Amino acid sequence: MPVLRSREIPPVPPKPPKARVKVDPPATPTQGREQPATRLSSPHSLTPSPKTAGSVSGSAPSSLRRSLRLSSKGSSNAGDQVGLPEVEKCIGSLNGDVSKKRKLSVDVDGGFESGGSRVLSLRSGEKVTKRSPLGDGDVNGGGGGDEVVESNTKGKSIAESEYIEKSESNNENRKRRFSSEEKGKGKLVVETDLESKDETLVNGSVPDVEVPAEEVKSPDEKPSKRSNRGTNGGRMERFRDTARRNASRFAYFNTQEEEKEEEDNNNLSMEVEREIPSVEEQIEEKVAEDWPGPFSTAMKIIRDRAANLNVRQGSSSSGQVPSVKIKWVPQKGKGKDGSKRLPPSLLDLSLRVLVDNADAIASLDHVPDALRHKLCQMLCDSRRMDSNLLDLLLSGSPTEIRLKECSWLTEDQFIECFEKCDTSNLTVLQLDYCGQSLADYNIPSTLARSPISLPALTTLSLTGAYRLSDAGLSVLVSSAPALRSVNLSQCSFLTHGAIEILASSLASVLLELFVDDCQSIDAMLMLPSLKRLEHLEVLSVAGLESVTDKFIKEFIFARGDGIKELNLSGCGKLTDSSLKIIAEICSILRALDIGNVPKLTDNSFGHLASGCRSLESLKLCRNAFSDDAIAAFLEMSGEVLKELALNNVGKVGHNTALSLARRSRNLVSLDLSWCRNLTDEAMGLIVDSCLSLRVLKLFGCTQITDVFLCGHSNAKVEIIGLKLSPLLEHMKSPVESPLHRTRQRVCHEKKHVLRQTDRRHSFVSYNLPVKVYRESTSNVPKKGMEIFITDVFTTDQKNEPQWPRLCLMLHATALSSSVPRALLNSRRY
Amino acid sequence: MKKEDTVKLISAEGMEFVIDKEAAMVSQTIRNMLTSPGGFAEAEHGEVTFPEISAVILEKICQYFYWSLQYSRGKETEFHIEPELTLELMMAANYLHT
Repeated sequence: MPVLRSREIPPVPPKPPKARVKVDPPATPTQGREQPATRLSSPHSLTPSPKTAGSVSGSAPSSLRRSLRLSSKGSSNAGDQVGLPEVEKCIGSLNGDVSKKRKLSVDVDGGFESGGSRVLSLRSGEKVTKRSPLGDGDVNGGGGGDEVVESNTKGKSIAESEYIEKSESNNENRKRRFSSEEKGKGKLVVETDLESKDETLVNGSVPDVEVPAEEVKSPDEKPSKRSNRGTNGGRMERFRDTARRNASRFAYFNTQEEEKEEEDNNNLSMEVEREIPSVEEQIEEKVAEDWPGPFSTAMKIIRDRAANLNVRQGSSSSGQVPSVKIKWVPQKGKGKDGSKRLPPSLLDLSLRVLVDNADAIASLDHVPDALRHKLCQMLCDSRRMDSNLLDLLLSGSPTEIRLKECSWLTEDQFIECFEKCDTSNLTVLQLDYCGQSLADYNIPSTLARSPISLPALTTLSLTGAYRLSDAGLSVLVSSAPALRSVNLSQCSFLTHGAIEILASSLASVLLELFVDDCQSIDAMLMLPSLKRLEHLEVLSVAGLESVTDKFIKEFIFARGDGIKELNLSGCGKLTDSSLKIIAEICSILRALDIGNVPKLTDNSFGHLASGCRSLESLKLCRNAFSDDAIAAFLEMSGEVLKELALNNVGKVGHNTALSLARRSRNLVSLDLSWCRNLTDEAMGLIVDSCLSLRVLKLFGCTQITDVFLCGHSNAKVEIIGLKLSPLLEHMKSPVESPLHRTRQRVCHEKKHVLRQTDRRHSFVSYNLPVKVYRESTSNVPKKGMEIFITDVFTTDQKNEPQWPRLCLMLHATALSSSVPRALLNSRRY
Repeated sequence: MKKEDTVKLISAEGMEFVIDKEAAMVSQTIRNMLTSPGGFAEAEHGEVTFPEISAVILEKICQYFYWSLQYSRGKETEFHIEPELTLELMMAANYLHT
């Protein structure tokens, strides 16, 4: 061995890989076989071989690597143990006698070595390149090959995923040792580093793609750690088999992959010096994607999982992304148990009757607030709320008034009711969609009768108050000095001046601010006032187009450390850089809504996974994230997650399902609407594994059949969206804050809900007699939200529907933003 | 009905309703009273008093208990509530957590 090491070997130009490729497999096993043996035998013989300037090392390691890979393929177990020692040997034994045995392939080809055992560094070991017997001649070419190989094998994980996880720490150790040794070496690139980087690099790694060696002009880094050492005879067969199996996959030339490889290699070179921060993490990579270690590790696992499957299937390069198999068998005979329903509670029953006979309610004294709210909710949902009931609610000295929907309230009624209302004890005032009633001029006579008229008010919600201007708000806010939560969504008249008013009087108390869809507010202009709000915890700027990366950056730098909930849905100009800043600074972020932000890519997940460790609620809608990214994020942060919405994130597939099943123990609400790639099996696995799951939304998932619906064994989960079922109770306000309560409706039986409403209200037009229920009760339907028309029928004397029930789901993309507002603020739909 | 299987619910006016323990357990509040290890008097004597619930309402509640047991055994019928009772029934149901 020493002999070879001391020799200076001139770089050998890489030769066309194709020919090699085909021939390689047979050679590799031999070489590979040698390597493990040598490595094992002399784990300490790692000597820096910088003199070869990486060139020699290139080939040696590559072949060694490759063989290792192959070996690992052949027998994952064997590879495992060999992993690190092999690597070390590789580095040290460039000189390798091994190299002699190897055919020096042109550098490019030479590259593979599989870290075989290493889970993450698994390479399918395909790139079997022949090497010339010189071994030393590898030079850069070999190194380059390594890299190429590495990148190639990125996606191919030979070992099973379990295996991968097991040996991960193993690998890490090896790598670490490796890198420290390598540090002193000049050109000797820490191959492990490279490899790990490779793996972590997000590369489209189609498993069967092979990068031709030429393209990879890997820089010096070529770590050729693996030196071919003597291999155990026993491994040869395995290697051979592995090679044979995978040979066909490598007979494939992909220019795209090459270019990617090249880029990857360049990136890799930056990482050489990185140390592995922890055992569990891969080397920190500040690659172009800037993904922190754990996330990239997770991504790798996901990819390897897929690649592994591909390997086992032995599919030839088809360019398809393999889909991970999901094993789930529906329970048989579940129907009997499943049909056993819980009886409705007496509370629900009596509430329903009460709502039916709301006009007969004489007094609501002594009714506790919680029941009042439930009652109001049901009344508003069924459109039975009227001013008499409002009078009842306002009688005495009410403490909380929550009207999720006041579009029926006329201005006169509003003035009449609130003129005589004693508001001194009022803590919560919610008059959503009060546009028709609330205006600047009637505030002083109703709500703000005196400067101390609302002393105890902590929560104020006046969404849809389209006639409220900055001046009116100022009057209102001056009477309510203790406000902690202000919801001014869809108040289209308000400008940034309104925020200034809030900041001047409520700077030290305001905790929550919602300005969704306030189109006249310019985000940058309101930024100074926002920064003055010292304790702001919840901010919602959904739908404001003027929210840009710059806004996010400045606001988060100023106040981000205290932010707990952030709603940025519909802010189309945001990019990954915003998410990066949020992840870095908002460490206590609990809820995040980034739906309808199309420019976000998988990098955002990388940032989120590393930064926001306490994220409990994540909402996506129509984002372009990939299955792998979401799966990797779930692997890392899924334990804490309670609510997840993947509405219309079309690429969601089996990887996500697997990660959900494995990690999401605490998940309560899951929205997988329009995720058409999920099969019955995937759904079944998710539902049966997420034991805390209570609500599963599957709108638009027409691929789900009764196999799942009748076969899953989770009795507590409620699946909505596939069949006609009451869904108002699941409509939550877009931003859930601690001071807001989730709206829960108690309408279990759809016929009750629909018939009740039908009885009392006429239809908008006789052409389309429909009742429109908004998906979200406190938000105007935005683009992309579905509006359900739950019933189409007229009623005759007996209240029997004459037309068959028809359920339509309209995409609100067809609706402009002005239409819903008009709809909602008028009495009739 | 054996003595050990029954509970006595006493309304505000003093009217007593003797029902099965199983039926009374439909109410979470009563269940906690009877089964918690705190040594409640209710558990000892098998009697629970409701000074705020009138007899009419308490009767309806007992009917609900039995209806609920029937429902969970498979016989799903409709439980009718007279409108004039609803408000008080709602509050009692809220208290009894049923």
